[in-house]
Amino acid sequence: MSIDEPSLARLMAASQRGDRAAYQALLGDSRKWLTRYFARRIAPHHIDDLVQETLVSMHRKLATWDSGRAFLPWLAAIARYRWIDMLRRQRDEAELGDNDAAVGAEDEAVHAKLSIDHLLTLLPPGQAQAITLVKIEGASIAEASQISGQSESLVKVNIHRGLKKLAELIESE
Amino acid sequence: MTMKDASIDDLIDGLATDLKPVRPRRVMQGSLWVVAGWLGVGAVLVALFGARADLVAGAMPPLSMLAFWLTAAAGIAAAWSALRMGLPGVGRDYGGWRWAVGALLALPLAALAVSFGDGHAHTEAAQRSFDIHCLLQGIASGLGVGAALFLWLRAGAPTSPTRAGWVIGIAAGAAGASIIALLCSSDDLVHITLWHASAVPVSAVAGRVLLTRFLRW
Repeated sequence: MSIDEPSLARLMAASQRGDRAAYQALLGDSRKWLTRYFARRIAPHHIDDLVQETLVSMHRKLATWDSGRAFLPWLAAIARYRWIDMLRRQRDEAELGDNDAAVGAEDEAVHAKLSIDHLLTLLPPGQAQAITLVKIEGASIAEASQISGQSESLVKVNIHRGLKKLAELIESE
Repeated sequence: MTMKDASIDDLIDGLATDLKPVRPRRVMQGSLWVVAGWLGVGAVLVALFGARADLVAGAMPPLSMLAFWLTAAAGIAAAWSALRMGLPGVGRDYGGWRWAVGALLALPLAALAVSFGDGHAHTEAAQRSFDIHCLLQGIASGLGVGAALFLWLRAGAPTSPTRAGWVIGIAAGAAGASIIALLCSSDDLVHITLWHASAVPVSAVAGRVLLTRFLRW
């Protein structure tokens, strides 16, 4: 089933009225959309957690969707909020050095609004490179150090500072 | 099917079972809370302390009237932005308050020019009417609007709690300053800037420091 805006908006309007079947279908479609949305924004092993957190937030904030507006920008705003929250937690926990392959994602208009590529251009090159290598491409700290020519501790510092700045940039968008 | 897939399926089933009908939140409904908070507190204060004498006589001086409308416009713009922040959406613009607040800068700029241009007369007048009472009253007067916006956003989904805290504070401070313009009879630009309009930055900082953590969800 294709995920198109008018169908999602219809399902959401029915969900707000308490239609459980419509809501189940909406959550299923939202899950697919969110999986693609997060695929280029976070290391693969975090995607499912983030999808679940976003679905729960969506459930708690169901009344904040205005039927006069599109559904996907609303879902994207909630997804972005959960993403920032996870970036913050990663920064706070200094959880660095994961080894996962990146997953490709289709671009959509609403995704482009907050494309990670665009945001990375706003960071200093060293920080952008460290985040791209470790957090998006899944390289280890040692590999990132070798590829970038930065020392391992500099890679960690650049990721820490870069994630902090990234969260601020996303909030200001 | 992986364990993660199964757990998301279970989650979806659980959320669907848990679904209750909800009444969509409307900005207009929040606006009514804000209007009630603004007019309610204003009416109580005017009843308690009495409106300024020249207002009662129907002849409010132009400068005081200008300050009233400037602060009221900033309050309306900030409150509207804060209300919209409760209903999220990528691509929505919440920045309307910046223009009205920017216009408020006319007050300190003009006060500075007057202080430097007119010798010590205005500064002395402001010192004579040194009145932190006006500032405290202004901050307290904004609590109705601040509380309405805070409750609205607590139940909503502000995607930048930090910015929401600032904007609630700005709206509350500007609303309070507009109420004080109806109570305090001073028509001195330095006094109005120092003891009325400064409720805006003070409340903004308070909103940022005190409210942000409660607006996270």
